Amino acid sequence: MKRYFLKRFLSIIITLIGLSVIVFMVSRVAPGDPAKLAAGPDATEEMVQIIQKEFRLDDPLPVQYISYMRGLLRGDFGRSIRTRHQVQEDIRLFLPATFELVFFSIAFAIAFGILFGILSAVYKDTWIDHGARVFSVTGVAVPMFWLGIMLQLLLAAKFHLLPIGGRLDTMILPPTTITRFFLMDSLITGNWVVFKNALSHIFLPAFVLSFPALASITRINRAEMLEVLHKDFILNERAQGISERLIIAKYALKNALIPTLTMIGLRYGWMLGGTILVETVFDWPGIGNYAVGAAVYSDFQPVMAVTIILGLNFMIANLFVDLGYGVLDPRVRYE
Amino acid sequence: MNSINSIWARWRVERKSQIRGFKLIVYTMSRSPLSVIGFSFVLIFFVIALIGPILITYPQDVRGAVHMDQKFKPPSSLHPFGTDEVGRDIYSRVIMGTRISLQIGLLIIFVAMGIGVPVGIIAGYLGGWVNEVLMRITDIFLSVPGLLLALAIVGALGPGIKNAMLALSIVWWPGYVRLVQGKTLSLREESFVEAAKSIGASKFRIIFGHILPNCTSPIIIKASMDMGMAILFAANLGFIGVGAQPPIPEWGAMISTGRNYLMNHWWMATFPGLAILITVLGFNLLGDGLRDVLDPQSRI
Amino acid sequence: MIVGVSFLVGASASGYEKRDGKKIFVYGERQAAPNIDPSQYYDWSTRMLQQSLYDALLKYVGNPPKLIPWLAKSRKKSADGKKWTFELVRNAKFHNGDPVTAQAVKWSFERTLTIKKGPAWMLMDFLDKDGIRVIDDHTIEFNLKSPYAAFEMALPWWYIMNPKVVMANAKGDDYGQEWMKSNSAGSGPFRQKRWEHGVLYELEAVEDYWKGWENPKHINGFIYKIIRESSSLRMALEKGEVDGISGLSPEDYDAVIKNPNIYVTNDPGWTTFGLKMNTQKGYTKDINIRKAICYAFDYPSMIKIYNGNATLEDSPFPKGMKGHIPVPNVYRQDMKKAKEYLAKAGYPNGGFELEYVYVSGLEEERLIGLVLLDNLAQLGIKLKMVPLVWPNMVARGSKVETSPDLIAVFTTPIMDDPDVVAIQYHKVSWGKYYGSHFYQNEKTWEMIEKARFTVDWPTRRKLYEEIQTQIMEDVPELFGMLFNRRWAFRKHVKGFVFSPMRFTSEIDIYPLYIED
Repeated sequence: MKRYFLKRFLSIIITLIGLSVIVFMVSRVAPGDPAKLAAGPDATEEMVQIIQKEFRLDDPLPVQYISYMRGLLRGDFGRSIRTRHQVQEDIRLFLPATFELVFFSIAFAIAFGILFGILSAVYKDTWIDHGARVFSVTGVAVPMFWLGIMLQLLLAAKFHLLPIGGRLDTMILPPTTITRFFLMDSLITGNWVVFKNALSHIFLPAFVLSFPALASITRINRAEMLEVLHKDFILNERAQGISERLIIAKYALKNALIPTLTMIGLRYGWMLGGTILVETVFDWPGIGNYAVGAAVYSDFQPVMAVTIILGLNFMIANLFVDLGYGVLDPRVRYE
Repeated sequence: MNSINSIWARWRVERKSQIRGFKLIVYTMSRSPLSVIGFSFVLIFFVIALIGPILITYPQDVRGAVHMDQKFKPPSSLHPFGTDEVGRDIYSRVIMGTRISLQIGLLIIFVAMGIGVPVGIIAGYLGGWVNEVLMRITDIFLSVPGLLLALAIVGALGPGIKNAMLALSIVWWPGYVRLVQGKTLSLREESFVEAAKSIGASKFRIIFGHILPNCTSPIIIKASMDMGMAILFAANLGFIGVGAQPPIPEWGAMISTGRNYLMNHWWMATFPGLAILITVLGFNLLGDGLRDVLDPQSRI
Repeated sequence: MIVGVSFLVGASASGYEKRDGKKIFVYGERQAAPNIDPSQYYDWSTRMLQQSLYDALLKYVGNPPKLIPWLAKSRKKSADGKKWTFELVRNAKFHNGDPVTAQAVKWSFERTLTIKKGPAWMLMDFLDKDGIRVIDDHTIEFNLKSPYAAFEMALPWWYIMNPKVVMANAKGDDYGQEWMKSNSAGSGPFRQKRWEHGVLYELEAVEDYWKGWENPKHINGFIYKIIRESSSLRMALEKGEVDGISGLSPEDYDAVIKNPNIYVTNDPGWTTFGLKMNTQKGYTKDINIRKAICYAFDYPSMIKIYNGNATLEDSPFPKGMKGHIPVPNVYRQDMKKAKEYLAKAGYPNGGFELEYVYVSGLEEERLIGLVLLDNLAQLGIKLKMVPLVWPNMVARGSKVETSPDLIAVFTTPIMDDPDVVAIQYHKVSWGKYYGSHFYQNEKTWEMIEKARFTVDWPTRRKLYEEIQTQIMEDVPELFGMLFNRRWAFRKHVKGFVFSPMRFTSEIDIYPLYIED
């Protein structure tokens, strides 16, 4: 088991290095003069030279890559042209917001996806099932940004039910910094007002972000549950008089979860990508929003950094998915 | 007349089993209402894309004409989807957007297949270190969420529909590599390949004659589902502002513009959004239907 | 789910924001201000904060803009226009209590001139560090290298910083630049409170501000909230989440005006919009083609885009600025003439493509581009629309080889003197965004130089009349319009005064007060 972990870990490192090479090459392909961009509209030739030295833009490509990698190992992702801050500072600021949103969304998608999947399978061919099936098929096809702006228009602008965007109301001070997750921090410190406010703000973006995942998970869980529920061993358990609830919850679900887990892993990746859309629509101050602002500005360092960080996160998530198989399926052996 | 008839008759006899297989596919699919819906949506999509210019009512609005006095008119009989911020007919633009989306989708999928399938076959067939290296490289591309990679690439190259399509092709090809490599790997061990090898068939012949034809089903299924997703991703990039640029009537870009005026002029963003939804849904349902028929064992 | 949602209905503020009885004004802005160092950077979002945190020797207020004494209570100018002496007020204090002295003023000017960023360009050609002399604690003298009548007009943008605070936070020899990006060392009516990058900036009023407060109901706090999308901005204003905004589309302003809790201000501005054409390269090198473009364009459409809230330019100089005259040979749409000039250029049926570069995300520029596309199509000319971010545009416009055929530029003059507009057509402006036309006419340049170094106004005025007419004749630019500057505020916000010297969405928050 330990060897498996080590092997996977090594493979993650190698993949990460490969990713950094690709991302680096992409950034250097860009047309335009990055030094001029960085210097700003009123810059003189002198000012441009200073920036050129600061960013080492004169060195040959492999040299630039080596210094970039050295920086990465130190956690130095360079400096953003747009915000003028170190990218690592900006990321430290914005990362918690994204992860709070993503965790909330995936938790929501998993919990309700599995629930709807079970309900849909158990109550097959009733209106519950039909509703869930329609949802699970259309949910993946709905453009996330469109859903976001439509809900924003209806629920926030027209009916004033929910806030338009951001993490908190302007006048509410964020809770004491412990985890930097507003929901957690406000719960820990017992700050009920902030908790309610943060919850109302995260609701719509999380819902939109989770939508396609929710649909896919519902779908596959339903399909798997149906498969399993008709298997022989279930028949056996029913004959033995075990309660239906227990059968569903313990035996059927455990088997159905394996392919569902794969889907969860896949959808998590799409969700990470989806943050760039949802954060833009809801003014959520996370790294997705940060990356979009940078990409539109031809500001590379942040885009590279966000790609690598979210890439790493996805790889780790996949590792967890693989370990999850081990938990769910005792037949799985790791070499 | 007679010779044509006999050519047709001969063709029917030679391909008898394939014709039957095709008929089976059609029959099975027509039994599933969702597949029928999917197929019809896709069919409508293709038809609109092809005959678009006949259907539109204001052709000049698609090419760049502006009518400042007509701006922001709500849906009416003259303009079923209303007009936009420079007075253009949205219905015409949404219809022509179908053509744009089709082009985008097809191009991305074909480029992705064009690179991915050969690489996958080579990797699967040759095995060994070639396989290791190629799969590692593929894994790198698959390790990062697609939309992010696309954003990074378009961010580097600059906004525009061509760059967006290039970026999305780069995001999509690894999927085909994985699919085809897996299939090739398993096919390699099949007895008919052994048999072909033993009678001295060249690698070339084995690949094109035996392996590739057996990959077509999974490729078609994947391509069908990918069409929808590729169009969706292109719209995502268009929405952010790095995809299609004005005055190209791409759906995502239209929603992005429409968003600024959403509160008072809801029609600008709604109709293109519905168009995306219906198109993607159609391809997804079609892909599902095909999978149920062609490859019922597969899960994802 | 509906039950859950209704539980979350928060208090939707219909009044203004109050915290502990203090009145907070919340302003929604589309752009962040990541660098508020007055020596390093300025733009409309940044300067709004700088104007609140810092003071300068003089200040622009009102419309028409007046240059009033601020830190400098009086000023003297020598007859030759080269020596300027300022006497400072005695009671000005920095936020940490230190007095604002002439030494601090000298140090601040030196810092900006040394770092050579931000506003440095305004005075770099006229002022050397050794030209600044401290006479005593409250008197300072500037000796210019050459006479410059407009010298004092640049001063409002040179903010005075506290050298002790800045140098205490300097890293190595960076002159405090790193620290000053997010921190301040000012004497202004507000001080920093909360600084959350990417989300909001909060300032609180300095209740014992040395200059005092005109109105007892003045705002006690100011929150600059970042909302990037104009649709969200508008929703926030209508819901009462913010008290004031700018940067809405003309449609949105017209819609929002109907809301009884909101009022919209409307003032003609001095921000000109023009399409600068590359006069040295490509098709636009030929003056006949430039004239054809200027005769093809449907000028009134720009007014329509702004729903009537704009005026067409009748000169390269903005109307209202000192020295402006309505030039007789101004261009208006005349397709016949356009075709004539096109034929003269040798392309009677067009048949080529031009590039129109504009600021990505700036809806009005995009719409104007669409109009031009339609107009030029009638001449057989294709228009390629290229949205870029502003720094990219500036980078492209900085070299003749890369400067676009047509580049859309909004320019706000930073001082009330025609030199600041005229100089854009002089060789020294080549390489800057406002010089991206690379206009070349030695005679015009001579006139501009003469007018710049003359101190006598009647002479200058005559020169500027000729300059305006000549530039219009040489047509390096499609002169567009001046759009009205509009802001939307909630009813209870009072005291807003428009000044054309302020940038697009920049407001001076010092005079604001809240009244129910």
